[in-house]
Formats: sequence, C-alpha cells, structure tokens
Amino acid sequence: MTELSVSTTAAGHVPQVPLPEAPPKVTVRNLNFYYGEHHALKNINLTLGTNRVTAFIGPSGCGKSTLLRVFNRMYDLYPGQRAVGQLMLDQTNILDPKLDLNLLRARVGMVFQKPTPFPMTIYENIAFGIRLYEKISKSEMDDRVEKALRGGALWNEVKDKLNASGLSLSGGQQQRLCIARTVAVRPEVILFDEPCSALDPISTAKVEELIQELSEDYTIAIVTHNMQQAARVSDKTAFMYLGELIEFDDTNKIFTSPSDRRTQDYITGRFG
Amino acid sequence: MADMAVQSDVMEAAGPYDRAKALSAFKLGDLTFYWITRISAISVLLILGGIILSLIVGAWPAMKEYGFAFLWTQRWAPSADPPVLGALGPIYGTLITSIIAMMIAIPVGIGIAVFLTELCPQMLRRPIGIAIELLAGIPSIIYGMWGFFVLGPFLANTFQPFMIRIFEGVPVLGAVFAGPPSYLSLFNAALILAIMVLPFITAISVDVFKTVPPVLKEAAYGMGCTTWEVVRSVVIPYTRVGVIGGIMLALGRALGETMAVTFIIGNSFRISSSIFAPGTTISAAIASEFAESDGLHQSGLILLGLLLFVLTFFVLAGARLMLMRLERKAGK
Repeated sequence: MTELSVSTTAAGHVPQVPLPEAPPKVTVRNLNFYYGEHHALKNINLTLGTNRVTAFIGPSGCGKSTLLRVFNRMYDLYPGQRAVGQLMLDQTNILDPKLDLNLLRARVGMVFQKPTPFPMTIYENIAFGIRLYEKISKSEMDDRVEKALRGGALWNEVKDKLNASGLSLSGGQQQRLCIARTVAVRPEVILFDEPCSALDPISTAKVEELIQELSEDYTIAIVTHNMQQAARVSDKTAFMYLGELIEFDDTNKIFTSPSDRRTQDYITGRFG
Repeated sequence: MADMAVQSDVMEAAGPYDRAKALSAFKLGDLTFYWITRISAISVLLILGGIILSLIVGAWPAMKEYGFAFLWTQRWAPSADPPVLGALGPIYGTLITSIIAMMIAIPVGIGIAVFLTELCPQMLRRPIGIAIELLAGIPSIIYGMWGFFVLGPFLANTFQPFMIRIFEGVPVLGAVFAGPPSYLSLFNAALILAIMVLPFITAISVDVFKTVPPVLKEAAYGMGCTTWEVVRSVVIPYTRVGVIGGIMLALGRALGETMAVTFIIGNSFRISSSIFAPGTTISAAIASEFAESDGLHQSGLILLGLLLFVLTFFVLAGARLMLMRLERKAGK
C-alpha cells in the first residue's frame, strides 16, 4: 500500500528533469551534535540550495528534527546540548558562540509541529514579529500584516476578524497563521518541523501548496514523517538514520532509484 | 464481538448472578456519595451565610447609631460619651498598606518566578524555590516581631530619612514622603505585608509559568525574541488568569493580615498624607481594641469587620472584571 502510493506520487508530481544545482544557502560540514553524552548527529555534510525545498526523512529518533534545530540554534535554550563542526549561512558562521541569536532567528524562521499562535489577536500575532525588528507606522503595519496573511494563504479567511484571538482559529488556520508570522519578518530560510502532523488532509494540502509557493522566495528545510509529502513538496531529500545522513540527493532519485539499501528499505516501508 | 456475546451467555447460564441486586447496591453507594458531596458543598454556603448574618447582627447597633457617616468619619473616640466612631482611618490604612504592598510584591514576586523558570541555573532552582516556600511558612507573629525589632528601626534610620530628604519640597511626593521617620508606620507595615505575600505570588506564578508549552516559547525565541520579550508577550499573557489568581490570593491576605500589621503600624486612627506616619488597618484596629471593648464600641468594631468583608468582596469582584476585560482585549 505504502509502496504503491509513494511510487505513484513520486512519479506523478516531481519533475522528471532535475532542477539545476542552486547556489548553496546553508552549508553543513562535519556537523556533530550531542545531547549531553548522547551523540545524536554524526558527521553530517550537506547543503541547502537557495530557494530550494530540502526534505529530511527518516524513522523517529534519527536526528532530523535535531538537525533542524541546529540551523537556528534553538538547542541553545537547553543546557547540555552542543553542536561541533561547521555550519554556514551564506558567510555567517551559525555556530559562532558570539553570534547574535536574535538576528540569526530573524534570518532563519521556524514553523513547528503543533501550531503555536501567541496568546494575542490575529493581527498582533503578525505585527508582534515585525515590531521586533522594524519601527513602522500603523498604515504600513496594516499593509505588512495583510501581505503576510496573504502570504500565508489566510487573508480571505480572517480579514473580517483580525481582532479575534489567534487561538480561536482552527488547527490548520493556526498553522498558516504561524507560517504567515514567520514570513512577516522576511527571513531567508524557513525551517518546517513536521508542519502538517497535527493537521487534517485538507489543511495539509493547503500548507503543502503554500510551501511550494514560498520556495520561490525562501530557502526551505522541512522535516516530515510523511514520505508522500516529502515527494510532493521537495526538490532534494535527505534520508537520515541513527544520527547519520545516509543519502542526500534529488527527491526524484531518492524515491525512484535510491543508491543505499537502507533508503530503499525505508521508503518502501520495510522499517520505520 | 461475537466472542463476547457467547461468553456472557455462558456466564448467565453458569451462576445465578443477580444483576438487578448488584446494580441497586451500586445505586445506594452512588446516592450516599452524592449526598455527602452535596452536604459538604451546602455547608460552605451555610457557614458563609452564618458569618455574614452574625456580623450584621453584631454590627446593627453601630449601624443604627452612625449610619453611612461611619464610612467617612475620621474621628475614633470610643471613650467619649457618647462614643464617636468613624471608619475612615482604618479603611484608608487598609487600602494604602495593601496597595503599597502589592506595588512591591507583584513585580518582585513575578520577577522571581521568571528568574526561577526561565533564567536560573538548574542547581539554584531548588534552593531558591524551597526558600520561597519557607517564607510562606513563617507565622505572621514572627514577621511582626521582626518588623518591630529589626526592620522598623532599620527603615527609620536609613531608608526613611533618605526618601524624606530626596523628596523634600517636591509637590505631592514631598507630602507622601514627609517626616519624621518612625519605627511604626504605614510603609513599614506595607513592606512586611509585601514580604509576607511574596511567596503566594511567586509560587503560583512559577506553577503557571511551567504550564506554558515549551514549543510556544521556542516559537517566540524562534522569531528572534529576547527572554524579556518572550516573558512579556507570551508567557505572561498565556498565564494571566493564573497569575492574577495568585495576585488576588495575595491581596486577600494583605487586606486581612492582622498580627504582623498590628505590631508595626502604630495603631493611629489619624489619616496622614505621609506613608511614613503611623496609621491603622481594619484588622489591626479590631485586634488591638476588641478585648477591651463593649457596647457600642464593640458593635462598631464588628461593623469594621463587616466592612473588611465587603471590601474584600469588591476587590475580588473587581479582579474578575479586570480579567474579563483583559480577555476581551486579547480577542477572546
């Protein structure tokens, strides 16, 4: 069942001609990550191409979310977690301990597994992020909020209730609000950590469509448990297993003719 | 499904199992439980009603004698003939000490809670948390003695002269911080109250701050917020109901606290514009005079108690209202 649907979607939606190699946006070299003593990421090497969607797949606990959380140094919030190696965002060394984390996170936005609207109105949810970095007038702010909500494919649904609480929206709308909020601060890279795992199929389709649209302007990394989703939205796919990057290639190739046996086993549903 | 049906058939056939009897036993148990809980709940209403009723009965002679003027008369002369009683001094003292106490305790208490949950190194968390809890466990009489023998002299010798000097000649504030320094003052009582209610605010804030989903905080940090911005815009709005609940509990205690305040407030019924002057609160007035009172004087003290009751009720109602308005502002 899984095998069948994967192969059909992969064949059906991903362009057969591979995209030209994009200039690298994020470069990972010999990255290792530790939760205290536990060695969670082992020698990761890969690049995220500019304005490309890179999907990370692999069984639970393989380190794909961990890798994502290194890209914006989210792990810094927790003592005992550390990353070793080289991780460049353009010319910026992300792992530099002196790096201004607030500025890094303005450049690298993140959307989480569960929708996380802030406890404020829909308008404020968007304006809040913009205000962190820019001082703009009310009318400019209105424009920016509208633009962000349109960017999040949510404008038509919420334009009449911008002063309602962000928590009053449905799960799918909340998630799109979070995407709009992330887009509003104009990041360069957007990280999606299983963005659809709490959503129904229709919301999932909307979010996936949105991700494709966003890839025109942003470099995107998405962690997903859903292989069809990886096949549908991404240009490149990285398969991870037990903290190692097993295979990293064009999505089309990964899902049709993977070069590693373990990738093959995983995408055909033999384990995972 | 089919298996189960077969099984129950077998069971019925096997023994004379009286379903109705078993059920009626359950029913009896349920009924008993229902009545026990119901009586417990009703008894709260009865006790509350009884207290209000006996307060009103006790206060009736004073109410008849002084009427509403009781509320705005400042003079308190129980030994005059006939006694002149006015509650303005104690009401003023109660409100002022509570307001100052909350002005000190709310920022400090929430600040401690933020430090404990967001910033504190893991190894310091427990010692500080336990210290806060111990602070809540100190009996109020000990606060009173400490305030009288240690804090009062200290404030009168250092902080009060300093403030009085700074604000000398400044309009309004000059009158608020007017001399002379005193061991026994509204401000000292308020400071003791602040220390006493601090653990309530901190403990409850810590508990509700811990309920903020980590992912929500990560989302805010992920936008590039600083810790201060995360606390102000996400943690506190998310937990405002709980935090305000803690503040109300603290305010309730501050309004009614008796022993420690009686020790250090000076028990003066005169209203002074200066917070460094002695004053009194409703509960302090009752505590210091009730034993030697009789007749109209005693009734007046009971009326004071009734006023404290009403005051507390209005404060709590006001808090509810504020909460509702906050929620509307957040768009709920």
